[in-house]
Amino acid sequence: MLIYTINRILHMIPVLFVLTVVVFMFIQLLPGDVIDTLIGDEEAEDPATRELLMKEYGLDKPIYVQYGVWIGKVLQGDFGKSLVTRRPVALELFESIPATVYLAVVGISISMLIAIPLGAIAAVKRNSPTDYTAQIVSLIGISIPEFWFAIMCVLFFSLYLGWLPSSGYMSPFEDLGQSLKYLILPAAAVGFRQAAYTTRLTRSSMLDEMNKEYVDTARSLGFSEKKVIYKYTLRNAMIPTITISGLQLANLLGGTVVLETIFAWPGIGQAIYLAIIDRDYPLIQAGILVLGVIVVIVNLLVDLLYRVLNPRVALN
Amino acid sequence: MSKENTENGVTEKQGQTRREFMTKTGAVAGAAALGMSGEANAAKKRHPKRGGTLRFATRSDSRGLDQHRNYYYYVSHPLAATSMGMFDVDLKMEPKPGIAVDHTVSKDLKTYTFKLRKGATFHDGSPIDAEAVKWNIGRIKDPKIGHSFIRSSIKDVESVDVIDSHTIKFNLDKPSGVLVASLTYYPVQFMSPNSVGNADNHPIGAGPFKFKSWKKYDRTVLERNENWWETDDQGNALPYLDKIVGFPKKEDRIRLTALRTGEVDLIENMAYTDAAGFDKKYGANFNTWDVPQVGTGYLGFNLKNGPFSYKNPNGKMMRQAAAHAINHEAIHQAIFSGLSETARGFYSKASTWHMPELERKYEYDPDKARFLLKKAGGMDERLVLTSRDAYAYMHQTGEIAHAMLTEAGFNIQHEIHPYAVLKSKWKKGEYSIDSTANSYRPDPDRWFSANVLSTSSNTKLRTGFNNPKADKLILEGKRTLDPAKRKEIYQEVEMIINDELPMIYTHFIPLTCAATKNLKGYEPAFNGPYSTHMSGIRTAWLG
Repeated sequence: MLIYTINRILHMIPVLFVLTVVVFMFIQLLPGDVIDTLIGDEEAEDPATRELLMKEYGLDKPIYVQYGVWIGKVLQGDFGKSLVTRRPVALELFESIPATVYLAVVGISISMLIAIPLGAIAAVKRNSPTDYTAQIVSLIGISIPEFWFAIMCVLFFSLYLGWLPSSGYMSPFEDLGQSLKYLILPAAAVGFRQAAYTTRLTRSSMLDEMNKEYVDTARSLGFSEKKVIYKYTLRNAMIPTITISGLQLANLLGGTVVLETIFAWPGIGQAIYLAIIDRDYPLIQAGILVLGVIVVIVNLLVDLLYRVLNPRVALN
Repeated sequence: MSKENTENGVTEKQGQTRREFMTKTGAVAGAAALGMSGEANAAKKRHPKRGGTLRFATRSDSRGLDQHRNYYYYVSHPLAATSMGMFDVDLKMEPKPGIAVDHTVSKDLKTYTFKLRKGATFHDGSPIDAEAVKWNIGRIKDPKIGHSFIRSSIKDVESVDVIDSHTIKFNLDKPSGVLVASLTYYPVQFMSPNSVGNADNHPIGAGPFKFKSWKKYDRTVLERNENWWETDDQGNALPYLDKIVGFPKKEDRIRLTALRTGEVDLIENMAYTDAAGFDKKYGANFNTWDVPQVGTGYLGFNLKNGPFSYKNPNGKMMRQAAAHAINHEAIHQAIFSGLSETARGFYSKASTWHMPELERKYEYDPDKARFLLKKAGGMDERLVLTSRDAYAYMHQTGEIAHAMLTEAGFNIQHEIHPYAVLKSKWKKGEYSIDSTANSYRPDPDRWFSANVLSTSSNTKLRTGFNNPKADKLILEGKRTLDPAKRKEIYQEVEMIINDELPMIYTHFIPLTCAATKNLKGYEPAFNGPYSTHMSGIRTAWLG
């Protein structure tokens, strides 16, 4: 497993390199540049000011030189400074990534806590009222737009019932109780939606497993139905569920701009979106790079989890 | 044992609540002054309470902390409360003493000498003296540092001479009667020279509140500046509030929900659809204010190239056709929910520069629009109407204008873009009409010199309007001190605009803010909640 892990980490390097090159080049293709956003309207046409600022920010050099300078610094652990706030990019990211990780991890946990038992029970009690209920609920979850569900949550739990704050964020290290209050609605909005997909997946994957020979063998050996279902079948049925949850987690870690906007959640999605609007190249580059690393790591963890769930899975 | 604590002229007794103390002292002082009974006077007087934290939800957040590199948008950015400049502005939009308390102007309007406030300090305790002012002006004027909006306010300033520690002379490169208006806060805001090394992380300004912390798009925490010079009419030091916590919540309805659920005390920029009926529905629990605005929406034409431009011999006829196609009343009702008014010039009734005599030369008349369009041969011209994504009213006006122009026979498509893309299109002339707006131009020179004068960068970038008579009048207006004479001059410029149509003024932008009944003593001015002499958040308290 160690060799596999090291191997996968080494594979990350070319993937991330290509990612940064592609992002760097594509950003340059966007109309307008950071000088346009920094300079404003009042002296927009003054070439001398533009030239000065281009030089000040190192944008007067050819693109490959700019990239070389940037990647050279990154390899030394320096992400540079935001062209807009002029604060270290690492600080800008450090402020927004924890909020995103917090929301994504709790949201996916909620999703799995709902989806795995619900999907498993629906499969075991196939064609029963429980199964139909689970299927209808998950169909509703897939059908309703995430933003609408989020707004409805705010309407009922904040405005009508007054139980939870409607928007905002607080770090769990600042005040855990208050932080959880802010977290519940966005995490529920994330979790419910993801659970809808995962429930259906868990159900169908359970049904597949239940039809396999090893299940009949286990039953013929006299294992209890509970043991057959929950120890053997569910464990194997979890592999596709874990795969999809891993992808969902990676996706959520990339930021959910709509939910972050609705809940005024200062996450990485908003940070990168605003950086793109402002053409804040170092922040966009570093943000994408960090997200790339996160996605690769999450995928690696998912692969490793396969092995934990089913030791027969060959990692390489 | 009772213990007294004197702070800025307000004595607070420990052992009783601040409110009790303020109520009692206010009543007694008032009674003594007017010879009235304490009870009768207390009923009539307001009794501000010192202390408390105001939770303020805003639409946007500052882009950075350095006060010269970024302008702190006066309406929305909580950080605006940390800043101050040479002059303050009152509720009537008139300049009031800020860091400068007095000034003289030379006859040739090229030299301004300012007397500075003695004893005024930045938040780090360093004095706001002539050297500090000179350093600030120099830094703002550095094109590598000063934001163009701030820098453009003082572009006429050629040099600054320190006369003594509290007297400073501004030398202009050309005569100007509008320097005082240009030096009002905002945008010409000062920072402590000692703080320059950390300006991107911890700004040290001179405003009524001090910077405590900022987490972009999460929250801004500000604390009361105990050395702020302003006092209320009873001599109590302002501001009353101890703290402001700003919460940027981009979506209008999210801010409104936060207000209604009691998570915040004050919100700004209500959605027009919400603002229109809010008072009737929720007036028992909340106060609302229609902020007197100097902000005007308009459709700007591309006169540099394309069918509306000077290059087309029928360009003016095309613009007239477009003007006849626009139903201003429909924009007023559909976009602005009947709030504020349609515009015939740049200045709304809130401004002393409002010109009620102005008439719209080309009224809504779709038949005439079609006739003129056909006559100008513009039926087949493919046009592009652009608008900015960041402001709903801009792209909504764009959408409705697009429908009206299409109805009149124009072959036009509507594109909504972020600022950087729009700017690229303006530069390349890849647009025909732009649905946009402009604000914070309390003095007309700031509007006309920046957006109508043919030599200005912004005019060159956007409309490309070039009218020698308008240019002459604008330059004359800048050199004229008499306000009545100036108003006549600018009215003439507006008439040229309404005839030549580099732009069609559409609507005065309404701005409504709302607060819980708990917020007392608050009255917003055109320049938002912070930067108003003896008003706004400075005089607000939590009851």
